[in-house]
Amino acid sequence: MNIVVKHIIRFIVLVAAQVLVLNQLEIGFGIQFMVYPLLIILLPFDLGIIYMLLIAFIMGLSIDGISNTYGLHTSSLLVITYLRPAIFKLFGPRDGYDVLKEGNMYEMGTRWFISVFGLMLIIHHLWFFTLEIFRFDDMLFVLQKTVFSVPLSFLFCLLFQAMFVTKPNTR
Amino acid sequence: MRNLIAFFRRFRVFLIFVLLQVFALSVYFTYLNFPRSQYLTSASKVSGLILTVQNDITKHFNLSLNNDKLQKENIRLRNRLPESFQRMQNGWAKINDTLFHQQYEYIPASVINSTSTKRNNYFTLNIGSNQGVKRGMGVFSDKGIVGIVHTSSAHFAVVKTVLTENINVDVMIEPIGLFGLMKWDGRDPRRGSITGISNDLKIKRWSKVVTRGGSGIFPRGLNVGKVEKLNPVEGKPLWDVVIRFSEDYRTIQRVYVIKNLFQEEQNKLELLIPEDKEE
Repeated sequence: MNIVVKHIIRFIVLVAAQVLVLNQLEIGFGIQFMVYPLLIILLPFDLGIIYMLLIAFIMGLSIDGISNTYGLHTSSLLVITYLRPAIFKLFGPRDGYDVLKEGNMYEMGTRWFISVFGLMLIIHHLWFFTLEIFRFDDMLFVLQKTVFSVPLSFLFCLLFQAMFVTKPNTR
Repeated sequence: MRNLIAFFRRFRVFLIFVLLQVFALSVYFTYLNFPRSQYLTSASKVSGLILTVQNDITKHFNLSLNNDKLQKENIRLRNRLPESFQRMQNGWAKINDTLFHQQYEYIPASVINSTSTKRNNYFTLNIGSNQGVKRGMGVFSDKGIVGIVHTSSAHFAVVKTVLTENINVDVMIEPIGLFGLMKWDGRDPRRGSITGISNDLKIKRWSKVVTRGGSGIFPRGLNVGKVEKLNPVEGKPLWDVVIRFSEDYRTIQRVYVIKNLFQEEQNKLELLIPEDKEE
């Protein structure tokens, strides 16, 4: 499949999953599932950062527009997109990334995925909840929300990958 | 000049990031401080359409619960009908008098999108300005108040619910008639709190909390909840009254929008109050 079409489909599926399904799941304790940062890590390794920022911006706006959050999702998605090259460099292989590969769990390995995507999710959630609450005396509540939400969002991302990302043939 | 261009080339990624980030944050903070931004809400045409389709699918999940609620309300209203009273005195003529004018009208609506775990929760309704919904109207359900209309487009309206930061509904604790402002601290969608109640007053637990009807948004006496706990506020002679909402905002579907026919008259009159020079 063409790589552009593939990412457009992922974009639509992720926004739809976020807005129509995950935003409706409310189980208390301040837990919120956010699955759309997955798109950013799955973008090709050689894509320019400016394009990535624009993609993140459009994605954030489309989620914000439907779920009445007024720019919160956009802001946090832009932050992790901007930090993506630095995080990738931090955990990258010694001789750089293979451009033909993709940043999913099957091609880059479980360890790489957990550390890179885990870090991105933590930054994303922290930024999101800090902005949402925006009071210093509620910092503990921000941490509580982040600590509870990150593992669950991560699980949903794994599920999403299992459904929509094709495994390479390993022999 | 060449240095300037070199500077822009060098930091172009950062500049674009800052530009987009400033846009997103300014939308968010303009909204927080001056809640009148009209863009990026679910009252727009496209997202309204998406949410309508979604609601068509999911509204049946709570169907039996909502039917029970409506049936109970029907019973309550039916009990007030003239047919359900026995006539004690015959021979009185019915006179259409002018003592009572209708002040409030109600428009039925259903909630097509709702959240309850965020810091500020908004509901989207399936009616809009075509049905007469305007900004600032009150919204309630059969069990209690819901919120105030925040934006309305032609076919949809966004409601700022009780579960938002600066909602400040003026409420009254029932038998003694104490006034206070109701707030929500962002944690538990089942509980809110009332501020501004002096701690020399005795308040019984589980006494009813109803709307005061001072601002004309809600009629007096709509249910809000019940007093659950009294916490002392540190360093001030005030109670922090914890109330338990009578409505469960997580499963709400059917609501009514209140149209106050005398709102303009009241606003016009209250504009005549001279403003305080201090502050």
